[in-house]
Amino acid sequence: MESKMQRRTLMRTAAALPLVSLLRPATARAEVKEIRMIEAGGKSGESIEKGYGDPFTAKTGIKLVRESPAPLGKLRAMVESGKITATLFELGSGTMVHAKSLGLIEKLDWAAINPNPMFPEARNEYGFGYQYYSTGMAWQKGTKPLRSWADFFNTKDFPGKRAIPDYVGSAVPFALLADGVPVDKLFPLDIDRALKKLLSIRKDISVVWKAGAQAPQLLNDGEVQYAIAWSGRIVEEPKLVFNFNGAMADLAFICMIKGSPKEEQAAAAKLYHEMSVAKNQARAAEVVAYTGPSPDLDALLPKDKLFMYPTAKVNKDVQWVQNAEYWAEHGEEGNKKWETFKLSL
Amino acid sequence: MAKPIAERRQGVGFITPLLVLMLAAFNLPILYMLTLGFWSKEGGFTFEHYAQLLDTPIYLRVLANTMRVSLVATLVNVAIGYPLAYWMRGLSPRAQFIAVSLVIVPFWISILVRTYAWIVVLGNNGMVNRLLLWSGMVDTPVSFLYNELGVMIGMANVLLPFLVLPLFAAMLRIDDRLMQAAASMGAPNHTIFLKVFLPLTLPALAAGTLLVFILCLGFYVTPAILGGGKVTMISNLLDILINQIPRWEQASAVSTLLLIVTLAIFAGYRALDRKVGT
Amino acid sequence: MNGQPTWGTRLVAALGIGALAFLVLPLLIVVPMSFSSARSLAFPPPGFSLRWYETFFGDPSWMEALWNSLTIASISSVCATTLGGLAAYGLRRGTFRGRDVAESNFMAPLIVPTIIAAVAMYLAFAGVNLLGTFLGLVIAHTVLSVPLVIMVLGVAVRSFDVRIEQVGWSLGGSWFYTARTVLLPNIAPSVFAAWIFAFIGSFDEVIVTSFIGGTYETIPKKMFNELILQVNPTITAIATLLMLFTVVTLALTAWMLQRAGRLRSTLL
Repeated sequence: MESKMQRRTLMRTAAALPLVSLLRPATARAEVKEIRMIEAGGKSGESIEKGYGDPFTAKTGIKLVRESPAPLGKLRAMVESGKITATLFELGSGTMVHAKSLGLIEKLDWAAINPNPMFPEARNEYGFGYQYYSTGMAWQKGTKPLRSWADFFNTKDFPGKRAIPDYVGSAVPFALLADGVPVDKLFPLDIDRALKKLLSIRKDISVVWKAGAQAPQLLNDGEVQYAIAWSGRIVEEPKLVFNFNGAMADLAFICMIKGSPKEEQAAAAKLYHEMSVAKNQARAAEVVAYTGPSPDLDALLPKDKLFMYPTAKVNKDVQWVQNAEYWAEHGEEGNKKWETFKLSL
Repeated sequence: MAKPIAERRQGVGFITPLLVLMLAAFNLPILYMLTLGFWSKEGGFTFEHYAQLLDTPIYLRVLANTMRVSLVATLVNVAIGYPLAYWMRGLSPRAQFIAVSLVIVPFWISILVRTYAWIVVLGNNGMVNRLLLWSGMVDTPVSFLYNELGVMIGMANVLLPFLVLPLFAAMLRIDDRLMQAAASMGAPNHTIFLKVFLPLTLPALAAGTLLVFILCLGFYVTPAILGGGKVTMISNLLDILINQIPRWEQASAVSTLLLIVTLAIFAGYRALDRKVGT
Repeated sequence: MNGQPTWGTRLVAALGIGALAFLVLPLLIVVPMSFSSARSLAFPPPGFSLRWYETFFGDPSWMEALWNSLTIASISSVCATTLGGLAAYGLRRGTFRGRDVAESNFMAPLIVPTIIAAVAMYLAFAGVNLLGTFLGLVIAHTVLSVPLVIMVLGVAVRSFDVRIEQVGWSLGGSWFYTARTVLLPNIAPSVFAAWIFAFIGSFDEVIVTSFIGGTYETIPKKMFNELILQVNPTITAIATLLMLFTVVTLALTAWMLQRAGRLRSTLL
């Protein structure tokens, strides 16, 4: 109810804007009281608030209001209807490229953001790569451990039900690795070959999950024995194991919605800056075991927890990186094949 | 006596407010959706999205899948619903009232609650699996959920009242004396049922079956929750096309297809329903 | 068909009771589970606790969803009952042409798959800035509740003797005046029933709300998202509360209709 009041205040502020700008010189626009971000939700959303929102508000007095979830359709509806109710939008790496081609997001003003040092791939023309996460295999302690993707697909020696993500880009590459394709030859992906490999264990694929929280839930409940899951959801579960070996590293971006108010975009630049501060990233990593793009981050993270983080040296070296450009181009074709594949499960 | 012109329009004022609302908020959106399926990205007229429907196997396969799941769920419904309605007919009025209440109350309870209940009952750690394991009938839990079986159980449960209530109403209208007459002529019970009772209930059964089938086609919540992401029905595909990919024009073409199929079956239902009424 | 119970009648009874159990038992099992002290869905529950109810009532996001659900359901059910009631009266008492077409149109939301209404409203509302607005949700819920109102009130108006109204007209009362003073008090229980049905219908609506609700959370929308995410025992508590609410309002409605002697005609 509180947030609705704020929304009303915001709307009143927005309605008053043209009037105010007539009365005053353009530089003294109405003050921005809050900015809205649509993000993926769950613990990752909490980490944004604790890590970046709180210091941002402390410095600027501007509140960060979060909403979730963040499907691409929501962004498109917002931009095409012209009714922009938020400034920032969280997108996956491939989805961001897709959103860019649909003209749904703005270029970032990196000069205004003036970030602390960050990994180059996180500093995208259209988005701030704020969170590294890994997709890999997971199981409950006491289950026969898997060493490779070939094991995940070997249901004879590693019996048990499997859960896989309902995202073509987070499932298909692993099937190719299991089928003997070397990591450096993965892209361009042979999707048909991958789906065939997946179909070979279709009797053992019990759940195709959509939300990150499902995988740990299914493993803990014993609904499945092995899962392809997101690292942060697994590493903090005492009963579960995550294997970074052969896992896929990916980056989630915070983008700016096309046509959002310029004042709010200017305010968002300050939030972006907070997101580049290593200390803040360490605080966000306390909430969920995903890490930010600062090269100085490792020193600030608790030593005993380093094994949990996707960007920790031990983990980063054994992983490979998602190819966002490939998915931006082949996403639609991939999605169609994926939906068809699910019908054969 | 011919009615004056004013009288021919009498009462129009009462329906006007609702009519305006319905036209603006229901008819127009549907009309808009129907036309959107013929818009190309450049803004002109195109059959491209419909060509896609036929060219890409996914759409027709999802439609076929939807039909198949709906058909089985409907048949399960008939297999459970007919005996129930028949049994209710023979009860005392008081017992009938209780039975009807037990059918109607779930009908009004949120579909989410009814779907969720199956997770509680049928999960690997659910009551049914515990019973099965405890009794030694199985060694490992049976997968009732997150597959087509789970979806069909959930759908049949939600739709049962839609079949049972009209069927029961139709059975109540059958005159007992017909059966008594048959019995007095020495016909055995099962013959009376097959030759007299069953034929009289067939139109209502057919109408109810079609109604349930139509409702099945548009199911969204149950497959989304109990299907474990593996049971894609048309509604779930629409969700993907609208919210995730997003391809609204394609969604509009798929919706149009579903609408046509639904209305065609509904026309059949109406024809049957009239027959039941007379 | 009477006399000693035969194997046939016993079989039918077993099937009938089995079917009723299939309908009702899963719901009944949810109730004790909601008082479980355990996180998992172990049955029988290992201990008694109210923690899931505390989680629900203590969580501001659930409370906001509850508030949204209640306000949307209240406003849309009143709109649907008012507009639908007027229309039902016009359809039964009016003499204008095209009544059948109009009535079929009013009943259409019941036949057109909800998902199609959801897609259509999503696309259309996106064009007129109603997506993710309170007004948009109220309009959509009103439209979806109309068929139920028309059904219940159509029966009520038809069963009320038109001659009593004619007396009113002959005494110089307008249609509207007569409807309000003569008809309305007599069909009040049915109006109440129609309103309750519209209220429950709106309160439980999930598909259209999920599509067009935007950032508005309602109880079913939030519940649906949580159910896809995970098995959260808080849902059991909410499910129990929803069932209690439905059973109580239905019992109340049935009691009122019973007193008015209109229970049977409204139900079947």
